[in-house]
Amino acid sequence: MFILVSLTYFAYMIGFERQILDNGLRVIVHRDEGTPMVTTNILYDAGSRDEEPDSTGFAHLFEHLMFEGTQNIPLFDVPVMMAGGENNAFTNNDLTNYYITLPATNLETALWLESDRMRGLDLAEERLANQKSVVTEEFRQRYLNQPYGDLLLLLRPLAYRVHPYRWPAIGMDISHIEKADSISAKKFYDRFYTPSNAVLSVAGNVDPDRVFSLAEKWFGDIPSGVKTERKLPVEPEQAERRELTVHRPVHAPHLLMAFHMGSRESRDFYILDLLTDILAGCDSARFPAILVRKKELFSEADIYLSGEADPGLVIFSGRIRDGIDVRKAEEAVRSELDRLASERVIAAELDKARNRYESHRLMQYISVSNKAFSLAYHEVLGDADGINREHEQYMSVTAEEIASAAGLTFRPGNSSVIHYLPEKI
Amino acid sequence: MRNKEIKGAPEIITPSAGDTSLPEPVMLGNGVPVYMAGNGTVDLLRIEFVIPAGQVLEEVHLAASATSAMLTEGTLHHDAATINDLIDSTGAALTHSSDKDTAGLVTVTLTRKLDDVMALASEVLFSPSFPENEFRMLTDRRLQAFQTSRRRTSVIAREAFYEALCGSRSPYGRITTEDDYRRLTTGDVREFHRKHYRPVNMYVTVAGSEPWKALPVLEKYFSGKGTGQWQKPPLPSPVLETSEPGKIFRDLPTSVQSTVRVGWKGITRNHPDYQALQVATMILGGYFGSRLMRTIREEKGYTYGIGAVAGAFHNIGYITIMTDVANAYRDETLSEIRKEIEKLRTEGVSEEEMTLVRNHMMGELARIFDGPFSVADAIRGIIDYETGADYYTRLAETVKTITPARIMDIFNRYFNPGEAWEIIAGSR
Repeated sequence: MFILVSLTYFAYMIGFERQILDNGLRVIVHRDEGTPMVTTNILYDAGSRDEEPDSTGFAHLFEHLMFEGTQNIPLFDVPVMMAGGENNAFTNNDLTNYYITLPATNLETALWLESDRMRGLDLAEERLANQKSVVTEEFRQRYLNQPYGDLLLLLRPLAYRVHPYRWPAIGMDISHIEKADSISAKKFYDRFYTPSNAVLSVAGNVDPDRVFSLAEKWFGDIPSGVKTERKLPVEPEQAERRELTVHRPVHAPHLLMAFHMGSRESRDFYILDLLTDILAGCDSARFPAILVRKKELFSEADIYLSGEADPGLVIFSGRIRDGIDVRKAEEAVRSELDRLASERVIAAELDKARNRYESHRLMQYISVSNKAFSLAYHEVLGDADGINREHEQYMSVTAEEIASAAGLTFRPGNSSVIHYLPEKI
Repeated sequence: MRNKEIKGAPEIITPSAGDTSLPEPVMLGNGVPVYMAGNGTVDLLRIEFVIPAGQVLEEVHLAASATSAMLTEGTLHHDAATINDLIDSTGAALTHSSDKDTAGLVTVTLTRKLDDVMALASEVLFSPSFPENEFRMLTDRRLQAFQTSRRRTSVIAREAFYEALCGSRSPYGRITTEDDYRRLTTGDVREFHRKHYRPVNMYVTVAGSEPWKALPVLEKYFSGKGTGQWQKPPLPSPVLETSEPGKIFRDLPTSVQSTVRVGWKGITRNHPDYQALQVATMILGGYFGSRLMRTIREEKGYTYGIGAVAGAFHNIGYITIMTDVANAYRDETLSEIRKEIEKLRTEGVSEEEMTLVRNHMMGELARIFDGPFSVADAIRGIIDYETGADYYTRLAETVKTITPARIMDIFNRYFNPGEAWEIIAGSR
């Protein structure tokens, strides 16, 4: 048994080489000869937690501006397409991430493009005005014009009082986006979009030494800037249950319950990640089996981690069946959560969650772009090799740890609850 | 200060699609074809069973999707809870899907669990029991999801388009109501399963690092099933009633945006213009820098995104443009779409734009043929619609050689403003 475990362990190792340029840019290379492609992933350590409370949504708006061209390359997409590539980006509460996947023969084009937009941007008012309008429509399309689309917009300010996680990456309100100006954009760029605040991760059919010398060629002369030092307010421990009831034009009620937990790097993260898998990771998990099928209270019942770098949330999210009272539904969730602290999860449940983690990890890391992002993410957390330590973290979680984390986390006083109800007609 | 000067751009190597040929099938003892896509180093297999059991074959509306969703809700040997437990304890995933023309069951498993997972796949596909209580619960959940979807402008606009294109009496254009859910019985589902889920109608794709490892296991669980030899079932040709082109409005009083959908009747996949139409749609709205994205997102800022696609069911094709915009911009959006199409019909595209789209599509083809999973998906499109194993080779050839004149001809032939439906779903 021991031998089997160690053999499979090697299958989960992601090899890489790392160099740091003189200007502080961290460069990571993973070689994968099974593909003709390469992904260049550049992660900036700047997310919505770095925004001011009266100008939220800015980091994400800025991500849009990064595609608006520079003095050297007015249309960012044209060279990417000419090289046969595809590219995109995303912003969350912690970071902003950009990637290009293209044939490995055109690696240098991707590095040229990324270095150019780290060198200087064209922040013309007209482009800013246009992207403000685009982001406003994105806000409406994804959060306001979807049934239940504003659930997470409502949750954040309820669960957090001081930490900037109290607003979502899209922003607290459309009016914040509307008033963004090019002076703040320039400031944001100068502060965060620098070599010392970025990680460049390259995964694919490439020679690491060639990547390092090309990184030096294209990024080496960009001034280093100042690494982000965060002094974010620490969220005080929650003392009492918080509850919010809203009415919306939807057909069925929805219940959201959130609990504060540890940071991404804490042991808490791995214990609770495995625990939420036992509760709702698959059809035979407890919530689908008990809350959906046996008790017929919910039509869907999920629980997951928000997964931020600073202490985050465990979020229960359930669509309640017609005719079921929201308090009765909440009571049933409560009783399942309480049971976790008093009864140990059984070995078969734990094994199942570990097996699922293994398959999931194998599946995830088939793609070079996932490997490139994950390496960059772990590097910004502290060490790219963290990607290889996760397996052991998950495999070593015990039933006792789960019971004790559940007892600590799922206290009623640690909860923020939203009753999202249909408007009375 | 940063030095904004940059050294000369690196030379771009023109992307090529690479090898776009598809594998020949291996037959099981009963003739069921198995298509294998092998590559990569990861010890996982993805096996998909494709069954000609889509909505197009329904006699009772919703029977196809309900049958597919009920497969894992109980078999002659196991109840739903046990099935779920058996799947989950192997770390495998088992996903059913049902669309207009076909249904499928996808399994993803660690190679060492292959035998257990195939035993289960065979059981859920061919010995389901359709228990009454699970059916009632599933119907309730599906009805609730349906009711929620009625608040989405994008769903309502799509429904209006297919109704206009295919007619409400055809399986492609049928309008679903709450009563359709309430009327459906386990008898309907049982009957649909009996008629259409037959091993001798299906084919299998296997993708992973060592796909041939699946063959003896597939032989063991699927070759003895059913009677007779495999035969390719004929493509169904439902009767269609295409309505007159024109404007269609669907009122959703609480919406803060409108979905705008412009559509035309297209062509089926074996039509000689199909590949050229793919290139034309790419130019119009298939990528970030496309004509529509440049104007309607990047210049006007009306929307987060706008796209155009050309596709086809068995016996009818479609071309459609879709976007979500603020209620105030929807008329301007329609008029900008008309203008862009008019330009493509009269002024055409430049050689430069042509090269850009050419390289982009070559890169896209190279990505399709990069991993075994996406190759398996490509195989599925080709078999389902009988487009011939050389479909992607022909597409690559078209992309390489197509001229601006031919593109202009395609726009004049298929994007006639007088033949379009202009659909808006939003609040009045």
